[in-house]
Amino acid sequence: MSRDKRIRRVLKALNNFLIFFLLVGFIVSCCTMLFVEVMSRTMGLELTSENIAAAAKITMLNVILLTLLLTLCDIIRRRLTVDRPVKTILNAGRRLTGGDFTVRIDTKKMSALDDGFEEIAECFNKMAEELSHTETLRSDFVANVSHELKTPLAVMQNYASLLASPDLEEEKRVEYARGISDASRRLAALITNILRLTKLENQQITPSFEEYDLSEQLCECLLGFEDAWEKKGLEIETDIESDVSIRSDAEMMSLVWNNLFSNAIKFTESGGTVSLTLKTEGEYAVVSVRDTGCGISREVGERMFDKFYQGDGSRATQGNGLGLALVKRVIDITGSEISVESELGKGTTFTVRTRRS
Amino acid sequence: MFKILVVEDNEELNRSVCSFLNRSGYEATGCLCAEDAYDAMYSNVFDLIVSDVMMPEIDGFEFAKTVRSLNEDIPILFMTALDDFASKQRGYRVGIDDYMVKPIDLDELFLRIGALLRRSKIASSRRLSVGDFSMDIDEHTAYWRGEEIALTLREFNLLYKLLSYPKRTFTRTQLMDEFWDADTQASTRTVDVYMTKLRAKLSECDSFSIVTVHGLGYKAVIK
Repeated sequence: MSRDKRIRRVLKALNNFLIFFLLVGFIVSCCTMLFVEVMSRTMGLELTSENIAAAAKITMLNVILLTLLLTLCDIIRRRLTVDRPVKTILNAGRRLTGGDFTVRIDTKKMSALDDGFEEIAECFNKMAEELSHTETLRSDFVANVSHELKTPLAVMQNYASLLASPDLEEEKRVEYARGISDASRRLAALITNILRLTKLENQQITPSFEEYDLSEQLCECLLGFEDAWEKKGLEIETDIESDVSIRSDAEMMSLVWNNLFSNAIKFTESGGTVSLTLKTEGEYAVVSVRDTGCGISREVGERMFDKFYQGDGSRATQGNGLGLALVKRVIDITGSEISVESELGKGTTFTVRTRRS
Repeated sequence: MFKILVVEDNEELNRSVCSFLNRSGYEATGCLCAEDAYDAMYSNVFDLIVSDVMMPEIDGFEFAKTVRSLNEDIPILFMTALDDFASKQRGYRVGIDDYMVKPIDLDELFLRIGALLRRSKIASSRRLSVGDFSMDIDEHTAYWRGEEIALTLREFNLLYKLLSYPKRTFTRTQLMDEFWDADTQASTRTVDVYMTKLRAKLSECDSFSIVTVHGLGYKAVIK
């Protein structure tokens, strides 16, 4: 304990002593005066100044003794009912700060004391619980990110060392080089998505709501995939009500459409159909993206908005498991709604509802 | 041979882009900062500039602005890690012609440079030719095998736009915004009418065709 603290403690004890002294002195004086007054009147006693002086000295001693006793009692009471629980809470707080999220305070011990301490302990436990949740989420996220980042890096490293070997056939060389460029492209897409998601989660991007033409945005976003659907030989059906405007953040919403379209195209076999409809239902603009792809099972459906979750491990090379997490985040921020209908083997429909302006 | 100036402060990226362009049939010169680029442009004439945005001292926006104030026509392509809309907007406002987000795909860079050079050639020669079909920009006339095809001004402009960006699909709204007054009462379906007319007038021309893309928009495909 530092010197400062010790001095403060002593001063506090002195302070308490003084208060008790004044209190006891006041009470004893009052009682004595009343007692003596009544005694002298009823019994007709004459009090000499010597008598009083002697009695006063004894009384004074008595007062000091009583005060000491009271101060001691107070210190002990304090130790038991205040200092000890405060110390327990402080220690727990220190452990929590040190990163130990398992720490909890025994509320039973606290219940014997003042109500306040029990409440504080309960509140503390709840806080520790919440912190441990975020901590697991964070460490899961870090584990996932590092896995997803390292895999393409490992692929690139392997291909690079293969490329370094002499007398490589032309065919192999091209194959390895393509492997490297595919992996790096995937890595780039992943990093872009991680950065976007982090930005969205930290709310660094505050949505800038403006009225804009949703019909046009959907057309433009879908046209961005023209090459992709032509390469895959997909049928595209569109039924877009024209001149539907919404009030939202156009750039963020384009993330939603791009991710939904790219998923629909990714999971539909060639010859399949991807359709996009935009309709108005009262106050809402309703966008549906339907595909005739492999569909989503119930278990996958429950977790598909989680970060890094991928329904089908074998398709892991085609995405990074962040697309729908991004979509969900944007939907939440912009106050829209998203729902999914799916049947295994038949296809999936994503429906987004946004309030019209 | 077209000369291309590459301004990029990362030495490795600069080198890889330059050697890729050199192997693709262009003559590329690499500069690591805007100052060097100004020096290079002083002694050489370039046909196109590829520039980074985040560079020490003079950044890409300032560089593009200076270049644009000296030369109105040279195509400028930004390649940058900034992928937000505000940066793109700022870039286009200072007068750049195209924008690519890092990491860039070199094959795509090649395609975009080709398209930019093609458009800048059209702009400087005031003439657009596709096979036996040609358009004279100053006279607003179109010719198929030497014979004039009568087009209205709006038809001419629409066709010119589509042929300037072959294979790129434009939505009806994009075309309306460019060729109709902002306060027009016409619906976006008016564009369909114009396309039907254009197709009828160009029925004999087989150098290209106007394709409808799934109700989303139109594009010109060169055969």
